[in-house]
Amino acid sequence: MRRHPLLWKLAFLQISFCLLLTWIIWTWGVSAERSTYFLDQADRLYLARYAQQAEDAWRNEGHAGVEGFRRRLSSEEDTWVAVIGPHLESLGITPLSALESSHLTFMRKLDWPMSRRLQDELPFVSIEFPDAPEQGRLVMQLPERLLPSGLTPWTHVLSHGVMPTLLAALLGLLIYRHLVVPLNHLRDRADSLRADDLDSDGPGLPLMHRRDELGELASAFEHMADRLRHSLNQQRLLLRTLSHELRTPLARLRIAHDSELSPEQLRERLDREIGDMQRLLEDTLDLAWLDTERPQLPTEPVLMLSIWEALCEDACFESGWPTQRLICLLGTDCCVQVHLDSIAQALENLLRNAIRFSPEHGKITLTGWREDDRWHLCLQDEGPGVAEADLERIFVPYQRLDNSTEGFGLGLAIARRAVELQGGRLWASNGQPGLIMHMTLPVSS
Amino acid sequence: MTPTLLLVEDDARLRNDLDLHFQKRGFAVTACQSGNQGLAAVRTSRFDLVLLDIMLPGMDGLSLLEALRDVDDTPVMLMSALGAEQDRITGFTRGADDYLPKPFSLAELDARANALLRRTARLHAPQTLGEDAAVQFDDGLQDVVHANQQAGLTCSEYRLLMTLRERPGEALSKPFLYQQVLHRIYTRLDRGLDVHVCNLRRKLAAIGVQHLQIQAVRGQGYILIDVNKA
Repeated sequence: MRRHPLLWKLAFLQISFCLLLTWIIWTWGVSAERSTYFLDQADRLYLARYAQQAEDAWRNEGHAGVEGFRRRLSSEEDTWVAVIGPHLESLGITPLSALESSHLTFMRKLDWPMSRRLQDELPFVSIEFPDAPEQGRLVMQLPERLLPSGLTPWTHVLSHGVMPTLLAALLGLLIYRHLVVPLNHLRDRADSLRADDLDSDGPGLPLMHRRDELGELASAFEHMADRLRHSLNQQRLLLRTLSHELRTPLARLRIAHDSELSPEQLRERLDREIGDMQRLLEDTLDLAWLDTERPQLPTEPVLMLSIWEALCEDACFESGWPTQRLICLLGTDCCVQVHLDSIAQALENLLRNAIRFSPEHGKITLTGWREDDRWHLCLQDEGPGVAEADLERIFVPYQRLDNSTEGFGLGLAIARRAVELQGGRLWASNGQPGLIMHMTLPVSS
Repeated sequence: MTPTLLLVEDDARLRNDLDLHFQKRGFAVTACQSGNQGLAAVRTSRFDLVLLDIMLPGMDGLSLLEALRDVDDTPVMLMSALGAEQDRITGFTRGADDYLPKPFSLAELDARANALLRRTARLHAPQTLGEDAAVQFDDGLQDVVHANQQAGLTCSEYRLLMTLRERPGEALSKPFLYQQVLHRIYTRLDRGLDVHVCNLRRKLAAIGVQHLQIQAVRGQGYILIDVNKA
């Protein structure tokens, strides 16, 4: 099951953004809008003064005074005005008409929001007499000029346009920082690869430590760069070594050709040099094949004893050793699940090496024991062994130790690749005396 | 009767050398330098053996091989400079009877050519086997019985023993044994036959068969020696 951390991150960002936007519009927008529907303080005082005047008129001059005040105010403010008592009756001389009474059904106080939302009508404001609110109140339709303007278009643009735009831009910036900046790092890395800057390991992409899809991408990228670096190095090494190793036998051939050798001697020299060159080429291609193709080889149950016997037959032919010097302590119970040809090639290379470095009358022994689901095999010779520091170096292709005079340094590298392809391991240690080659191979079930 | 050989190889020097070599060995050689010439030759006459380079100008060796297989089952040996690691890629040489990576020695070429010719000859005249007093060979069970003990041979091991027994005292080449016993082409790194030989020796020894010995002959192959008859 694939995790999708980046998906969750992006979803989280988007959801947060949406919630924030809704919240801001809901609280800030609505309160801003509402606040603009209230009369400001000066207008409230201005209107309250009219109530004071109405009260004064009522108290001093009674119905007639009120009537006069109502008419004057009505014409001054060009609006409908009434002064009513506690039972909603007119305190002036003319009683209220039915239409006028209906104006009294929904009156607003001074500190209520004003809007013409209802029936597109200016609101009716009720202002109690300041000194004796129980005796009556002034009711007037709010003059047009005092009506709060509500939200201006500019405020609308600000609250519903500019602010969400800014927030969205911020969100975009966050996503960009999160996604594209790392990709730019990756691109820089790719550019440096394009410029053949393969050897610098770079600062290692900080991206690789991320635990999301981009982190995986970075790891995959680094892996690819690694393979590329490896195979380019391999290629350089191959060219360098091949040209060097081929020049040597060619030089020998050229000299042999120019010197006065008898036909038999010349034929023998030819045979030897051609054999050398052919072996170098085959080993090199073998190693390159194992290295670059990493082939999946079919495995089968194989008796190690039989491989050993087959190899010993050849080895004794080649080296002139009596078979008694090659000892196998494995029984017929040592059966491993391997690709026969590769493992035979690996063991043959190890055996050849052991024979080459063996002293006169030295013996070579193959032993082994079972460790869980593997066989641990040991091939020990009685040669000089290898310095501790060089125990790993001998497996590096084309590396020859100082005391080695023949071969190309490919045998052990090929053997190690071959064993690793079977899921096994190959390493060396020094014994008492000689060198021990350790090899683990999967047991055949 | 003079055996006939078709040689298709585009490298002029190699073609001439091989031509001369096989003529010296008594073959009637038809040498071609391209796949199309080779195809024309195959359509006009029959050959005992075809030696075919894979990389050819025009029609390549594998296409020629395919065309040839439509006509008859002449043994075909492919030659190629594709390198030894390609040996392991099976299926690549499908339809060919043998595969020889370049460079090869004339001795190797001869051994393989002989193996192919011998196999054809053997198909036409099956050998009769001599009797063995001590050991019973059970074709049905594909096993060997000695002193009432079964050796427990596998089919390949039994086939190997019987193939060797057909010509006791004669070294049989690895290319021949691979084709005859394991039904596959012998390649440089192949150890299958060697391991079968070792297994067979051990199983024969286990049931006390002492007089039949399988010996390796350096550079030639394996030989079966019957100590009782020698």
